[in-house]
Amino acid sequence: MSGTTIERAGAASIARTPRRRVSRDTLLGAGTLIGFLLVWKVVHWLGLFPPWAFPSPEQVVGAFVDLTRSGQLPANTWASLLRQIVGVFLAAAVGIPAGLLLGASRTARAALLPLCRLIYPIPGIAWIPLAILWFGIGFKSTVFVIFFTGLWPILFNTMAGVSTLEGQYTDVARVYLAPRLFYVRKILIPGSLPFIITGVRLTYGVGWRVIVGAEMISSITGLGFMIDDARWQLRPDVMVAGMITIAMIGWFMENWAFDWLERVTIERWGMKTAPR
Amino acid sequence: MVEIQTLSKRYQVDEGEIVALAATSLTIGEGEFVCLLGPSGCGKSTLLKIVAGLIPASGGSVLINGHPVAGPGPDRAVVFQDYALFPWMTVNDNVEFGLAARGVDATRRHQVSGELLRVVGLGDFAAKYPHHLSGGMKQRVSIARALAVDPVLLLMDEPFGALDAQTRYVMQQELLRIWRGYRKTVLFVTHSIEEALYLGDRVLIMTARPGRIKADLRVSQPRPRDVAGDEFTRLRKQTLDLLSEEIARSMEQDSARAVTS
Repeated sequence: MSGTTIERAGAASIARTPRRRVSRDTLLGAGTLIGFLLVWKVVHWLGLFPPWAFPSPEQVVGAFVDLTRSGQLPANTWASLLRQIVGVFLAAAVGIPAGLLLGASRTARAALLPLCRLIYPIPGIAWIPLAILWFGIGFKSTVFVIFFTGLWPILFNTMAGVSTLEGQYTDVARVYLAPRLFYVRKILIPGSLPFIITGVRLTYGVGWRVIVGAEMISSITGLGFMIDDARWQLRPDVMVAGMITIAMIGWFMENWAFDWLERVTIERWGMKTAPR
Repeated sequence: MVEIQTLSKRYQVDEGEIVALAATSLTIGEGEFVCLLGPSGCGKSTLLKIVAGLIPASGGSVLINGHPVAGPGPDRAVVFQDYALFPWMTVNDNVEFGLAARGVDATRRHQVSGELLRVVGLGDFAAKYPHHLSGGMKQRVSIARALAVDPVLLLMDEPFGALDAQTRYVMQQELLRIWRGYRKTVLFVTHSIEEALYLGDRVLIMTARPGRIKADLRVSQPRPRDVAGDEFTRLRKQTLDLLSEEIARSMEQDSARAVTS
């Protein structure tokens, strides 16, 4: 009798353990978030900062509602997103082929890497004044800055991805007489894809982090402009609402869009090595 | 069929020159199953890669049906030890790879891959990706990919080296069954005496580096061979005697290198 009870209890706990751990992790994460909001509220209530420099959580929620109603938040979010998408797309359009070329050709590496290594350490923000002179204030100069900042992660990652294919896969391609273009299409690009996706992910991340700085200087629309502009109106609630919007879009892309892309490609192929 | 004449391979390293293969000559007849057996590092894989056209020889020549080898060609296919399947292609697309590279149209490709997947017993796995398969199944796909291009010479570089003993035994029987059906000429590299004697019409024993052919044993025992029988035991003893000397020399070379480096 007692034997069966123990067995049953054991089976039940084994079945339940993983689900319980997930909910415990979720609770811990949510608890910290609530704790953070409480500390925020208490700091505001103590009046450590003047009210024109430190908004309460409710004021930020209010700013969200007002900005959404007035259409200001959607318009600026769209402006930033469009620049971001175009910038990242251009960085990928140049960075992926360039990375494939640099990875596959020793001659290209010898010719181009020294120049790349010289330009790469220049922060994207440092390009802004020049970008304004070239393209004026607005869309083009911001896109240019995102492009130039985002080019490097994707380029260097793609290059590293190609070098992992050396040996085994290239031998198979040679044995079966794969023509050059066929090799690029069927082996080089899909084989480097884990690295290319990581590269685009990083490019997206650095682009989104630099866009705010760029918009503060070289634009009169976008979330960066909205945050900077709120300074003149002494509206810290608007600033924080803008910052939270940036965080949420970044979080969504990182956790949903790119994970989805990985699921339908490299995870399906069993090429993802370690869980993130 | 295959004529290898005074083939040699030297590598330049920091300490000077390594002779991987010393003036090796051999001929393989049409439809023959030849096993190349030797201690690790004796140059047997080097020999196979030169015949495949993947690396150039330092001297000598390889003729296939009278044509000298100067790189990979449509008359040869290779089965690699670690399968070398493309993880982003389905089993079917992996098998079709060689044909697709040659521009064969999709209908014909599909016909060939369908038949070969049935032959290797993977008819139901065409749409799966390689990571869903076990090691033995992956190697079946790799064999199907090699047969798909209809080579005259099938080169196999320790293809079952990464498999467990049972799977290995099953795969050896499978390979013989497929070989009987397609009658390809096979050059099969291995370091397992039992495998070489179980599979080959001939077993070529190589010396430690620099590699040469030390002995050319003809195994006339009919297949399937009884690995516990007197004839097999006698051959195994003979092979082991020939090989153990070379294994000892190969290990000496390794320890000498470990001391100097």
